Amino acid sequence: MKSRIREFDSSTLNESVRNTIMRDLKAVGKKFMHVLYPRKSNTLLRDWDLWGPLILCVTLALMLQRDSVDSEKDGGPQFAEVFVIVWFGAVTITLNSKLLGGNISFFQSLCVLGYCILPLTVAMLICRLVLLADPGPVNFMVRLFVVIVMFAWSIVASTAFLADSQPPNRRALAVYPVFLFYFVISWMILTFTPQ
Amino acid sequence: AVSQDHGSNDDTEDVSLFDAEEETTNRPRKSKIRHPVASFFHLFFRVSAIVVYLLCELLSSSFITCMVTIILLLSCDFWAVKNVTGRLMVGLRWWNHIDEDGKSHWVFESRKSSQENKTVSEAESRIFWLGLIACPVLWVIFAFSALFSFRVKWLAVVIMGVVLQGANLYGYIRCKVGSRKNLTSMATSYFGKQFLRQNTGDDQTS
Repeated sequence: MKSRIREFDSSTLNESVRNTIMRDLKAVGKKFMHVLYPRKSNTLLRDWDLWGPLILCVTLALMLQRDSVDSEKDGGPQFAEVFVIVWFGAVTITLNSKLLGGNISFFQSLCVLGYCILPLTVAMLICRLVLLADPGPVNFMVRLFVVIVMFAWSIVASTAFLADSQPPNRRALAVYPVFLFYFVISWMILTFTPQ
Repeated sequence: AVSQDHGSNDDTEDVSLFDAEEETTNRPRKSKIRHPVASFFHLFFRVSAIVVYLLCELLSSSFITCMVTIILLLSCDFWAVKNVTGRLMVGLRWWNHIDEDGKSHWVFESRKSSQENKTVSEAESRIFWLGLIACPVLWVIFAFSALFSFRVKWLAVVIMGVVLQGANLYGYIRCKVGSRKNLTSMATSYFGKQFLRQNTGDDQTS
Protein backbone atom coordinates (compact mmCIF):
# COMPACT_ATOMS: atom_id res chain seq x y z
CA MET A 1 0.00 0.00 0.00
CA LYS A 2 2.93 2.30 0.69
CA SER A 3 4.10 2.10 -2.92
CA ARG A 4 0.60 2.85 -4.12
CA ILE A 5 0.54 6.01 -2.04
CA ARG A 6 3.98 6.99 -3.33
CA GLU A 7 2.94 6.77 -6.96
CA PHE A 8 -0.33 8.53 -6.19
CA ASP A 9 1.49 11.35 -4.48
CA SER A 10 3.97 12.12 -7.22
CA SER A 11 1.19 12.30 -9.73
CA THR A 12 -0.92 14.67 -7.64
CA LEU A 13 1.97 16.87 -6.55
CA ASN A 14 2.71 17.81 -10.10
CA GLU A 15 -0.63 17.75 -11.84
CA SER A 16 -2.08 20.87 -13.41
CA VAL A 17 -4.70 23.00 -11.68
CA ARG A 18 -7.32 22.11 -14.27
CA ASN A 19 -6.87 18.41 -13.50
CA THR A 20 -7.34 19.04 -9.82
CA ILE A 21 -10.54 20.99 -10.38
CA MET A 22 -11.99 18.41 -12.76
CA ARG A 23 -11.08 15.56 -10.44
CA ASP A 24 -12.82 17.17 -7.49
CA LEU A 25 -15.88 18.19 -9.49
CA LYS A 26 -16.28 14.69 -10.83
CA ALA A 27 -15.99 13.24 -7.35
CA VAL A 28 -18.73 15.55 -6.07
CA GLY A 29 -20.98 14.79 -9.05
CA LYS A 30 -20.49 11.07 -8.60
CA LYS A 31 -21.58 11.26 -5.01
CA PHE A 32 -24.71 13.20 -5.91
CA MET A 33 -25.59 10.42 -8.36
CA HIS A 34 -25.01 7.83 -5.67
CA VAL A 35 -27.44 9.57 -3.37
CA LEU A 36 -30.09 9.77 -6.06
CA TYR A 37 -29.76 6.06 -6.86
CA PRO A 38 -28.65 4.50 -3.60
CA ARG A 39 -27.05 1.10 -3.68
CA LYS A 40 -24.72 -0.51 -1.25
CA SER A 41 -21.34 0.70 -2.33
CA ASN A 42 -18.28 2.07 -0.67
CA THR A 43 -17.53 5.00 -2.93
CA LEU A 44 -19.28 7.56 -0.79
CA LEU A 45 -17.31 6.38 2.18
CA ARG A 46 -13.89 5.94 0.63
CA ASP A 47 -13.28 9.33 -0.97
CA TRP A 48 -15.14 11.66 1.30
CA ASP A 49 -15.44 15.36 0.73
CA LEU A 50 -17.54 18.04 2.34
CA TRP A 51 -18.17 20.26 -0.69
CA GLY A 52 -21.52 18.68 -1.48
CA PRO A 53 -22.84 19.13 2.05
CA LEU A 54 -21.67 22.74 2.07
CA ILE A 55 -23.43 23.53 -1.21
CA LEU A 56 -26.61 21.76 -0.07
CA CYS A 57 -26.58 23.46 3.31
CA VAL A 58 -26.15 26.92 1.81
CA THR A 59 -28.87 26.27 -0.79
CA LEU A 60 -31.28 24.99 1.84
CA ALA A 61 -30.56 27.91 4.15
CA LEU A 62 -31.10 30.39 1.32
CA MET A 63 -34.39 28.79 0.33
CA LEU A 64 -35.64 28.76 3.91
CA GLN A 65 -35.50 32.54 4.09
CA ARG A 66 -38.66 34.45 4.64
CA ASP A 67 -38.99 37.41 2.28
CA SER A 68 -39.38 40.19 4.77
CA VAL A 69 -39.97 43.75 3.67
CA ASP A 70 -37.98 45.14 6.54
CA SER A 71 -34.33 44.84 5.59
CA GLU A 72 -33.12 45.02 9.15
CA LYS A 73 -34.69 41.77 10.17
CA ASP A 74 -33.55 40.24 6.95
CA GLY A 75 -33.50 36.65 8.03
CA GLY A 76 -29.99 36.58 9.32
CA PRO A 77 -30.70 34.47 12.38
CA GLN A 78 -32.71 31.95 10.35
CA PHE A 79 -29.84 31.44 7.92
CA ALA A 80 -27.38 30.82 10.72
CA GLU A 81 -29.99 28.63 12.43
CA VAL A 82 -30.24 26.24 9.48
CA PHE A 83 -26.47 26.06 9.29
CA VAL A 84 -26.13 25.31 12.97
CA ILE A 85 -28.90 22.69 12.93
CA VAL A 86 -27.43 20.85 9.98
CA TRP A 87 -23.80 20.82 11.06
CA PHE A 88 -24.37 20.41 14.77
CA GLY A 89 -26.90 17.66 14.11
CA ALA A 90 -24.50 15.85 11.80
CA VAL A 91 -21.66 16.10 14.30
CA THR A 92 -23.90 14.79 17.09
CA ILE A 93 -25.00 11.79 15.03
CA THR A 94 -21.39 11.05 14.14
CA LEU A 95 -20.31 11.18 17.78
CA ASN A 96 -23.22 8.95 18.70
CA SER A 97 -22.29 6.39 16.08
CA LYS A 98 -18.65 6.42 17.10
CA LEU A 99 -19.55 5.98 20.76
CA LEU A 100 -21.68 2.98 19.82
CA GLY A 101 -18.60 1.38 18.38
CA GLY A 102 -19.02 2.06 14.69
CA ASN A 103 -15.91 1.80 12.54
CA ILE A 104 -16.55 4.77 10.35
CA SER A 105 -14.40 7.84 10.53
CA PHE A 106 -15.66 11.25 11.60
CA PHE A 107 -15.48 12.92 8.21
CA GLN A 108 -16.90 9.97 6.32
CA SER A 109 -20.02 10.07 8.44
CA LEU A 110 -20.36 13.84 8.02
CA CYS A 111 -19.97 13.36 4.27
CA VAL A 112 -22.73 10.74 4.04
CA LEU A 113 -25.17 12.69 6.22
CA GLY A 114 -24.51 15.87 4.31
CA TYR A 115 -24.92 14.37 0.85
CA CYS A 116 -28.15 12.65 1.85
CA ILE A 117 -29.75 16.05 2.42
CA LEU A 118 -30.05 16.27 -1.36
CA PRO A 119 -33.56 14.76 -1.59
CA LEU A 120 -34.80 17.17 1.07
CA THR A 121 -33.28 20.11 -0.79
CA VAL A 122 -35.17 19.00 -3.89
CA ALA A 123 -38.32 18.79 -1.72
CA MET A 124 -37.70 22.36 -0.57
CA LEU A 125 -37.41 23.51 -4.15
CA ILE A 126 -40.68 21.79 -5.09
CA CYS A 127 -42.42 23.21 -2.03
CA ARG A 128 -41.37 26.71 -2.89
CA LEU A 129 -42.74 26.28 -6.39
CA VAL A 130 -45.99 24.81 -5.06
CA LEU A 131 -46.35 27.72 -2.64
CA LEU A 132 -46.51 30.10 -5.57
CA ALA A 133 -49.98 28.72 -6.26
CA ASP A 134 -52.90 29.71 -4.00
CA PRO A 135 -52.86 28.31 -0.48
CA GLY A 136 -55.35 25.74 0.69
CA PRO A 137 -55.63 22.15 1.83
CA VAL A 138 -54.68 20.76 -1.59
CA ASN A 139 -51.52 22.83 -1.52
CA PHE A 140 -50.67 21.45 1.88
CA MET A 141 -51.40 17.85 0.89
CA VAL A 142 -49.12 18.09 -2.12
CA ARG A 143 -46.32 19.50 -0.03
CA LEU A 144 -46.83 16.91 2.69
CA PHE A 145 -46.66 14.11 0.15
CA VAL A 146 -43.49 15.46 -1.47
CA VAL A 147 -41.76 15.98 1.86
CA ILE A 148 -42.68 12.49 3.10
CA VAL A 149 -41.37 10.86 -0.07
CA MET A 150 -38.10 12.79 0.03
CA PHE A 151 -37.70 12.15 3.74
CA ALA A 152 -38.02 8.42 3.13
CA TRP A 153 -35.51 8.70 0.29
CA SER A 154 -32.96 10.45 2.53
CA ILE A 155 -33.35 7.82 5.22
CA VAL A 156 -32.97 4.96 2.77
CA ALA A 157 -29.92 6.56 1.16
CA SER A 158 -28.12 7.29 4.40
CA THR A 159 -28.83 3.94 6.03
CA ALA A 160 -27.64 2.15 2.90
CA PHE A 161 -24.24 3.68 3.59
CA LEU A 162 -24.14 3.94 7.34
CA ALA A 163 -25.79 0.74 8.51
CA ASP A 164 -22.93 -1.49 7.48
CA SER A 165 -20.49 0.30 9.69
CA GLN A 166 -22.34 -0.68 12.85
CA PRO A 167 -22.38 -4.03 14.63
CA PRO A 168 -25.75 -5.72 13.92
CA ASN A 169 -27.23 -5.45 17.40
CA ARG A 170 -26.64 -1.69 17.49
CA ARG A 171 -28.00 -0.78 14.12
CA ALA A 172 -31.32 0.61 15.32
CA LEU A 173 -29.58 2.66 18.00
CA ALA A 174 -27.33 4.21 15.39
CA VAL A 175 -30.04 4.81 12.82
CA TYR A 176 -32.69 6.50 14.94
CA PRO A 177 -30.73 9.79 15.38
CA VAL A 178 -30.44 9.94 11.60
CA PHE A 179 -34.22 9.57 11.45
CA LEU A 180 -34.58 12.42 13.96
CA PHE A 181 -32.13 14.62 12.07
CA TYR A 182 -33.92 14.34 8.75
CA PHE A 183 -37.26 14.65 10.52
CA VAL A 184 -36.27 18.04 11.94
CA ILE A 185 -35.14 19.24 8.53
CA SER A 186 -38.34 17.95 6.90
CA TRP A 187 -40.38 19.71 9.56
CA MET A 188 -38.61 22.99 8.83
CA ILE A 189 -39.35 22.51 5.15
CA LEU A 190 -42.98 21.58 5.65
CA THR A 191 -43.79 24.42 8.02
CA PHE A 192 -42.13 27.03 5.86
CA THR A 193 -44.30 29.91 4.72
CA PRO A 194 -42.94 32.79 2.70
CA GLN A 195 -44.49 35.57 4.78
CA ALA B 1 50.66 52.82 4.69
CA VAL B 2 49.55 50.51 7.45
CA SER B 3 45.97 51.65 7.17
CA GLN B 4 46.03 51.27 3.41
CA ASP B 5 47.20 47.69 3.73
CA HIS B 6 44.53 47.09 6.26
CA GLY B 7 42.00 48.59 3.88
CA SER B 8 43.12 46.48 0.93
CA ASN B 9 43.14 43.39 3.12
CA ASP B 10 39.63 44.18 4.14
CA ASP B 11 38.57 44.58 0.53
CA THR B 12 40.01 41.28 -0.57
CA GLU B 13 38.56 39.60 2.47
CA ASP B 14 35.15 40.98 1.67
CA VAL B 15 35.31 39.92 -1.95
CA SER B 16 36.43 36.37 -1.15
CA LEU B 17 33.72 35.96 1.52
CA PHE B 18 31.09 37.16 -0.93
CA ASP B 19 32.25 34.66 -3.57
CA ALA B 20 32.27 31.83 -1.03
CA GLU B 21 28.71 32.64 -0.06
CA GLU B 22 27.51 32.58 -3.66
CA GLU B 23 29.13 29.22 -4.29
CA THR B 24 27.56 27.57 -1.27
CA THR B 25 24.05 28.85 -1.91
CA ASN B 26 24.23 28.08 -5.63
CA ARG B 27 20.63 29.09 -6.23
CA PRO B 28 20.62 32.50 -7.89
CA ARG B 29 16.95 32.41 -8.85
CA LYS B 30 15.68 32.02 -5.29
CA SER B 31 14.10 35.43 -4.95
CA LYS B 32 11.97 35.36 -8.10
CA ILE B 33 8.29 34.61 -7.93
CA ARG B 34 7.67 31.70 -10.24
CA HIS B 35 3.91 31.39 -9.89
CA PRO B 36 2.49 34.91 -9.76
CA VAL B 37 -1.10 33.77 -10.36
CA ALA B 38 -0.96 31.22 -7.56
CA SER B 39 0.62 33.73 -5.19
CA PHE B 40 -2.06 36.26 -6.04
CA PHE B 41 -4.93 33.84 -5.44
CA HIS B 42 -3.34 32.51 -2.27
CA LEU B 43 -3.66 35.94 -0.72
CA PHE B 44 -6.71 37.18 -2.63
CA PHE B 45 -9.36 34.86 -1.19
CA ARG B 46 -8.15 35.11 2.40
CA VAL B 47 -7.76 38.85 2.39
CA SER B 48 -11.10 39.47 0.63
CA ALA B 49 -12.91 37.29 3.15
CA ILE B 50 -11.46 39.38 5.96
CA VAL B 51 -12.19 42.63 4.15
CA VAL B 52 -15.81 41.65 3.45
CA TYR B 53 -16.25 40.64 7.09
CA LEU B 54 -14.91 43.95 8.34
CA LEU B 55 -16.76 46.12 5.85
CA CYS B 56 -20.03 44.22 5.75
CA GLU B 57 -22.09 47.09 7.07
CA LEU B 58 -20.74 49.43 4.42
CA LEU B 59 -20.84 47.05 1.48
CA SER B 60 -24.36 45.76 1.69
CA SER B 61 -27.35 46.16 3.95
CA SER B 62 -28.17 42.48 3.71
CA PHE B 63 -26.58 40.22 6.27
CA ILE B 64 -27.31 37.17 4.13
CA THR B 65 -25.38 38.45 1.13
CA CYS B 66 -22.34 39.16 3.24
CA MET B 67 -22.54 35.83 4.99
CA VAL B 68 -22.88 33.84 1.78
CA THR B 69 -20.06 35.82 0.16
CA ILE B 70 -17.75 35.17 3.08
CA ILE B 71 -18.64 31.48 3.08
CA LEU B 72 -17.93 31.23 -0.63
CA LEU B 73 -14.62 33.06 -0.29
CA LEU B 74 -13.56 30.90 2.65
CA SER B 75 -14.40 27.72 0.75
CA CYS B 76 -12.54 28.82 -2.39
CA ASP B 77 -9.60 29.82 -0.26
CA PHE B 78 -9.57 26.48 1.53
CA TRP B 79 -9.65 24.53 -1.71
CA ALA B 80 -7.08 26.74 -3.45
CA VAL B 81 -4.59 26.69 -0.60
CA LYS B 82 -4.96 23.00 0.08
CA ASN B 83 -4.86 21.76 -3.50
CA VAL B 84 -3.02 24.31 -5.59
CA THR B 85 -0.95 26.99 -3.92
CA GLY B 86 0.73 24.71 -1.39
CA ARG B 87 1.86 22.39 -4.18
CA LEU B 88 3.07 25.12 -6.48
CA MET B 89 4.62 27.54 -4.03
CA VAL B 90 6.29 25.35 -1.44
CA GLY B 91 5.93 21.81 -2.75
CA LEU B 92 3.87 20.52 0.20
CA ARG B 93 0.58 18.68 0.20
CA TRP B 94 -1.66 17.00 2.77
CA TRP B 95 -4.78 14.89 2.45
CA ASN B 96 -6.78 12.06 3.94
CA HIS B 97 -6.69 8.56 2.55
CA ILE B 98 -9.05 5.72 3.46
CA ASP B 99 -7.67 2.28 2.80
CA GLU B 100 -9.49 -0.97 2.09
CA ASP B 101 -9.99 -1.76 5.76
CA GLY B 102 -11.82 1.50 6.25
CA LYS B 103 -9.10 3.07 8.35
CA SER B 104 -8.32 6.66 7.67
CA HIS B 105 -4.77 7.89 7.22
CA TRP B 106 -3.66 11.47 7.04
CA VAL B 107 -0.88 11.84 4.49
CA PHE B 108 1.55 14.75 4.71
CA GLU B 109 4.00 14.94 1.86
CA SER B 110 6.67 17.29 0.72
CA ARG B 111 8.49 17.43 -2.56
CA LYS B 112 12.09 16.23 -2.31
CA SER B 113 14.41 19.04 -3.30
CA SER B 114 16.38 16.82 -5.65
CA GLN B 115 13.35 16.25 -7.87
CA GLU B 116 13.59 17.88 -11.27
CA ASN B 117 15.31 21.10 -10.20
CA LYS B 118 12.12 22.51 -8.71
CA THR B 119 13.51 24.35 -5.74
CA VAL B 120 11.40 26.55 -3.58
CA SER B 121 11.77 30.26 -4.21
CA GLU B 122 12.28 32.33 -1.07
CA ALA B 123 9.90 35.10 -1.99
CA GLU B 124 7.08 32.64 -2.69
CA SER B 125 7.78 30.74 0.48
CA ARG B 126 7.63 33.95 2.49
CA ILE B 127 4.34 35.03 0.88
CA PHE B 128 2.89 31.57 1.45
CA TRP B 129 3.72 31.27 5.12
CA LEU B 130 2.83 34.89 5.86
CA GLY B 131 -0.63 34.48 4.37
CA LEU B 132 -1.06 31.09 5.98
CA ILE B 133 -0.25 32.22 9.50
CA ALA B 134 -1.60 35.78 9.65
CA CYS B 135 -5.17 35.06 8.55
CA PRO B 136 -6.17 32.34 11.05
CA VAL B 137 -4.78 34.54 13.81
CA LEU B 138 -7.03 37.37 12.61
CA TRP B 139 -10.06 35.07 12.51
CA VAL B 140 -9.40 33.94 16.08
CA ILE B 141 -9.29 37.59 17.12
CA PHE B 142 -12.60 38.14 15.31
CA ALA B 143 -14.06 35.14 17.10
CA PHE B 144 -13.25 36.56 20.50
CA SER B 145 -14.49 40.00 19.54
CA ALA B 146 -17.79 38.59 18.21
CA LEU B 147 -18.22 36.55 21.37
CA PHE B 148 -17.52 39.38 23.77
CA SER B 149 -19.45 42.04 21.91
CA PHE B 150 -22.42 39.65 21.59
CA ARG B 151 -22.67 39.86 17.80
CA VAL B 152 -23.62 36.23 17.92
CA LYS B 153 -25.11 36.00 14.46
CA TRP B 154 -21.64 36.35 12.99
CA LEU B 155 -20.26 33.61 15.17
CA ALA B 156 -21.14 30.84 12.70
CA VAL B 157 -19.15 32.48 9.90
CA VAL B 158 -16.22 33.36 12.13
CA ILE B 159 -15.98 29.85 13.52
CA MET B 160 -16.03 28.53 9.98
CA GLY B 161 -13.17 30.87 9.13
CA VAL B 162 -11.14 29.72 12.12
CA VAL B 163 -11.75 26.04 11.38
CA LEU B 164 -11.00 26.12 7.64
CA GLN B 165 -7.94 28.32 7.80
CA GLY B 166 -6.68 26.67 10.97
CA ALA B 167 -6.97 23.27 9.27
CA ASN B 168 -4.77 24.39 6.39
CA LEU B 169 -2.27 25.92 8.79
CA TYR B 170 -2.09 22.73 10.84
CA GLY B 171 -1.80 20.53 7.76
CA TYR B 172 1.04 22.50 6.24
CA ILE B 173 2.94 22.80 9.48
CA ARG B 174 2.78 19.04 9.82
CA CYS B 175 4.01 18.64 6.24
CA LYS B 176 6.89 20.96 6.94
CA VAL B 177 7.78 19.35 10.24
CA GLY B 178 7.42 15.86 8.84
CA SER B 179 9.89 16.64 6.08
CA ARG B 180 12.51 17.55 8.64
CA LYS B 181 12.09 14.39 10.69
CA ASN B 182 11.99 16.07 14.04
CA LEU B 183 10.67 19.31 15.44
CA THR B 184 13.45 19.58 18.01
CA SER B 185 16.21 19.06 15.45
CA MET B 186 14.60 21.75 13.29
CA ALA B 187 14.48 24.15 16.24
CA THR B 188 18.10 23.49 17.19
CA SER B 189 19.31 23.91 13.60
CA TYR B 190 17.39 27.20 13.27
CA PHE B 191 18.76 28.61 16.50
CA GLY B 192 22.20 27.27 15.69
CA LYS B 193 22.17 29.17 12.39
CA GLN B 194 21.04 32.36 14.08
CA PHE B 195 23.80 32.03 16.66
CA LEU B 196 26.46 31.48 14.00
CA ARG B 197 25.20 34.37 11.91
CA GLN B 198 25.37 36.71 14.86
CA ASN B 199 28.90 35.67 15.77
CA THR B 200 30.34 35.96 12.24
CA GLY B 201 28.59 39.30 11.91
CA ASP B 202 30.32 40.50 15.09
CA ASP B 203 33.68 39.32 13.82
CA GLN B 204 33.29 41.26 10.57
CA THR B 205 32.37 44.56 12.18
CA SER B 206 35.26 44.37 14.68
